[in-house]
Amino acid sequence: MLLEVRNLSVGYGGAPAIVDIELDVEVGEIVSVIGPNGAGKSTLINAIAGILRAEKGSLRVGGVDLTGIAAHRVCRHGVALVPEGRRLFVGMTVEENLEIGCYRPEARKVKDESLMRVYDLFPVLRERRGQIAGTLSGGQQQMVAVGRALMAGPRLLLLDEPSLGLAPSIVAELFRALRIIHAEGVAMLLVEQNVAQALDIADRAYVLEEGRIVATGLPDELLAQSRIREVYLGL
Amino acid sequence: MPHFTLLAQSLLTGILAGALYGLLALGLSLSWGLLRLVNLGHFAMALLGAYLTWWFGTVYGIPPWWTGLFIVGAFFVYGMGLHWVFMRFRVAEMASMLITFSIAVLLESLLQALWTADFRRYETAWSSASIVVGPLFVPTLNLAAALVAAVLALATWAWLRFTYVGKALRAGAEDAPIAAAFGINHRQLSYLLSGLCAAYAGVAGVFIALIATLAPSEIWTWVGVVFAVVIIGRLGNPLGALVGGVLIGACEAMTMAVVNPAWAPLVSFSVLIALLLFRPKWV
Amino acid sequence: MSVRRLAPAAFFAVLGLALLAVPALDIPAFYVSFLYIVFNWISLATSWTILSGFAGYWSFGHAAFFGIGVYTAATLATKFGVPFLWTLPLAAGLAALLGTTIGFIVFRLQRLRGELFALMTISMTFVVATIISNTPIDGGSGVYLISVAVPELFGSPTGTIYVLGLAMAAVAMATAYAVSRSRLGLGLFAIHDDEDVAETKGVPTFRYKLAAIALSSGIAGAVGAVYSIYVSYVTVGETFEITVTMYPVVMSIFGGARHWLGPALGAVVITTALYSLASGPQAYIGRAVIALGLILVILLMPQGVVTTVLRWWRRRMPPRVIVPERIEPRPREAIPEASPHPVLDCRDVSKAFGGIQALRNVSLAVAPGEILGLVGPNGSGKSTLINVITGHYQIDGGAVFFDGARIDALPAHTIAQHGIARSYQIPRLFNHLTVLDNVALPARFGTEHQDKGAAAAEAMHWLAYTGLAARATALPQQLNLHERKFLELARALAARPRLLLLDEVMSGLNHTEIDAALMLVRDIRERGTTIVFVEHLMRAVVALSDRVAVLNEGTLIAVGTPQETMRDAEVINVYLGKAHAS
Repeated sequence: MLLEVRNLSVGYGGAPAIVDIELDVEVGEIVSVIGPNGAGKSTLINAIAGILRAEKGSLRVGGVDLTGIAAHRVCRHGVALVPEGRRLFVGMTVEENLEIGCYRPEARKVKDESLMRVYDLFPVLRERRGQIAGTLSGGQQQMVAVGRALMAGPRLLLLDEPSLGLAPSIVAELFRALRIIHAEGVAMLLVEQNVAQALDIADRAYVLEEGRIVATGLPDELLAQSRIREVYLGL
Repeated sequence: MPHFTLLAQSLLTGILAGALYGLLALGLSLSWGLLRLVNLGHFAMALLGAYLTWWFGTVYGIPPWWTGLFIVGAFFVYGMGLHWVFMRFRVAEMASMLITFSIAVLLESLLQALWTADFRRYETAWSSASIVVGPLFVPTLNLAAALVAAVLALATWAWLRFTYVGKALRAGAEDAPIAAAFGINHRQLSYLLSGLCAAYAGVAGVFIALIATLAPSEIWTWVGVVFAVVIIGRLGNPLGALVGGVLIGACEAMTMAVVNPAWAPLVSFSVLIALLLFRPKWV
Repeated sequence: MSVRRLAPAAFFAVLGLALLAVPALDIPAFYVSFLYIVFNWISLATSWTILSGFAGYWSFGHAAFFGIGVYTAATLATKFGVPFLWTLPLAAGLAALLGTTIGFIVFRLQRLRGELFALMTISMTFVVATIISNTPIDGGSGVYLISVAVPELFGSPTGTIYVLGLAMAAVAMATAYAVSRSRLGLGLFAIHDDEDVAETKGVPTFRYKLAAIALSSGIAGAVGAVYSIYVSYVTVGETFEITVTMYPVVMSIFGGARHWLGPALGAVVITTALYSLASGPQAYIGRAVIALGLILVILLMPQGVVTTVLRWWRRRMPPRVIVPERIEPRPREAIPEASPHPVLDCRDVSKAFGGIQALRNVSLAVAPGEILGLVGPNGSGKSTLINVITGHYQIDGGAVFFDGARIDALPAHTIAQHGIARSYQIPRLFNHLTVLDNVALPARFGTEHQDKGAAAAEAMHWLAYTGLAARATALPQQLNLHERKFLELARALAARPRLLLLDEVMSGLNHTEIDAALMLVRDIRERGTTIVFVEHLMRAVVALSDRVAVLNEGTLIAVGTPQETMRDAEVINVYLGKAHAS
């Protein structure tokens, strides 16, 4: 098992955001977590990335217990984050953003290969390598965010709403890239509002509602449930 | 209108003096831009460095480069200590100004207690040496100070731009949590940077000792000019600090030569006001 | 007036009269002079606090304002023969002019206003000193005021100077007291805590900051004028000394810079300490001790002594809160007759940030009395639209009309006063103001500009309405998240807006709380307020909205009844993807 989340709870100032989450990701698997805004999806991802501290529960990556570990140590265990809203270092160039991705010493050693891989995956970034990241379009910024995470040479990619605010054609392109990355053996935990995209790419999925997992299963099983429609559209 | 050579000579003097502004601005700009801490004690530290250089030199005959080496080390440790206090008590930008202001007052008192309020001058063999270039005299010490300022500014710029640690510092200043997700320990790096900023103050101090006349109250005469340089050069930009310093130095020199030496302190203030009025987005 | 409020007033009256009698008594000159010095620092520290303590813009240039006063009086009295008392208003005026000019330049900036203001005031001190010492104003040799006639108002010239000093202290403290109890003061306190929110609640922040700096620097100028006659020989070196800048800061911080009495207390303690510690050539020791003390106070007691003691006192003696037994329902204002204009009309509104187009030609009209749900994925532009309507962001293209009048170029506080109020998704409360004051602020600055008493009653009404009446005297930090959300709502309602913009009021609430919130929102509409609300909780959107507007990537893709809109193929596609749009 690559990622094991047990009994995880996180809150902000007394208000629980996620409660007793149990979630697994196998090596090389794509797992989607879907649910409406405010359900706690980002909280879950950030807690796994070590940015938020868990109140309760445990977190293991590749069998190593990472509960309560400092954020800057988590990436050593092969976890890389594509945060919600991209959160690039907007004052730095595209290539500098990518280089931050391979900051940890093991990733630095293969920097050149990693750069080639990212530029092959997103050729537009090669053209714009010297451009300040904040001046890119939304889609290109998302490519930088994914590229930055890839530079870390992850076993597990955490993707927080990668399709946010992007035009459908760009989203399609992005998910094509994610499939290629997956084919190279990288496991993914994908958090999405875009249910169709998220379920289409996933091996398994969880439905999160008001901080709790309310359903889990194969994508087709979940699609058949009327619950999703209810949660998303209020009908 | 003064003679052309005279103008060129004052312009040169101004540029050299401006480089020293740049050297003083370097540490300030970095700590404000990358650590979000405004250090009003920076000048006091520089002057402390200057006094130490003078004192070791005149009383014990220790040459300035050895003193400089000691100062760089000791100030580095001080900078880290200061940062520890800021981290420990979660000091924000405005409170950091008050604390470092108090540190400046403390240091001024210390200088006065140790060495009185009298003016001090460090006379060395190079004090009056200069290189003659055509009709112009280039004072050796000022030239050395300018060269060191330029080298440090360039080196710092390159360090921030091309090394992993430098990029990590910039990334951490923009978004520390995300930087942490990629393995950057911003806390640790900010200790390094804070130490470095204090060490830069020490380097500036060594040259202040060699070039200028010392008095404890000199702490305050630099504040306005150097902060103007920091803003003009843009926060956290080492090359900007150097360019801003040279620019202000040159303008001051021209004011001295053409108008009246007494009005030079107004130059940086006017430039800053103009910048804030007409290019408010610059900051 | 209650005994609790009368007692301090009587105390200050008696103290003032007693101090006024000092010159008539046969007290050694040293003590009279010492008292004058105390008054001098009380006035300077208190005047510093009016801007820096109340509004949080720390000035490191009080010496400049003081010095302008010193030299205005010296110059007018010696070179132009102006009677001394007449120099006081001129000194105050010139200092206020300088202060206002600096404020005008720096207070408009978007970033680093506080830091730049501090730095500008430091540099300004040296600039003013340079000008004065290089011009005939001083000429570098100082100015003697020995020959200036001092009106013998109270026996001797010494007595007059003493009384003038006392009067300055009284004026400074009275001003600080009056400001702290006024609209201006409330606005300044709010600016200190969160300037953007203050502006959105109707506080004219720029104007208020200018008013505060004018008062602060003006008083310092007048104090300087009196000081010039006290020392009778003024030099640039001593007038603009760094301690003149430092002491008011230290005294205010030590005593408590957010309380009108704090600086005076700090001034008394610190001046006494300085006098007993050291003077003359060893003055630097006193300075060092003060600087060290300041560091410790900032690190360990950042609120200052007075505030810390007051808080401790209040904790021991919990105040009685007057909770109205029954909340009188406000007379319901009828929903306005079908007006020719929509309440809100956005036409082709566009807004970009860097490379991201946040809003793209959004056109949306909201009818009077309507509840409009604004939905869309994260990052679709909902919050940007709210920020555009409230005037927080300037738009790049298009126009926004409120009741037929164009508002998109107006400053945010004017828009608030026109009758638009908003709540914040993550509560942004004024952390140093009580719950009651948090709600009273929009009542005082919103559509109706109510006076203090009426605003407090209005605030109490809305606190009761949202179930927070019992927490009126608490500070926002003492509330839990739900209470903070309802406080945010009460604060928006207290402005009596005609258009209410709610940003995710439901998020983080449990089922029963959501049901309560639904009732509340309907009731607010029944009172005649038009509502636009951003919400992710679809159950609430469908239940509440008359119409739903869906944003995606900054474009408005659908508007209509909830049933229609949420069955719209494009909307389903946005939310669930193509597969579900069947």
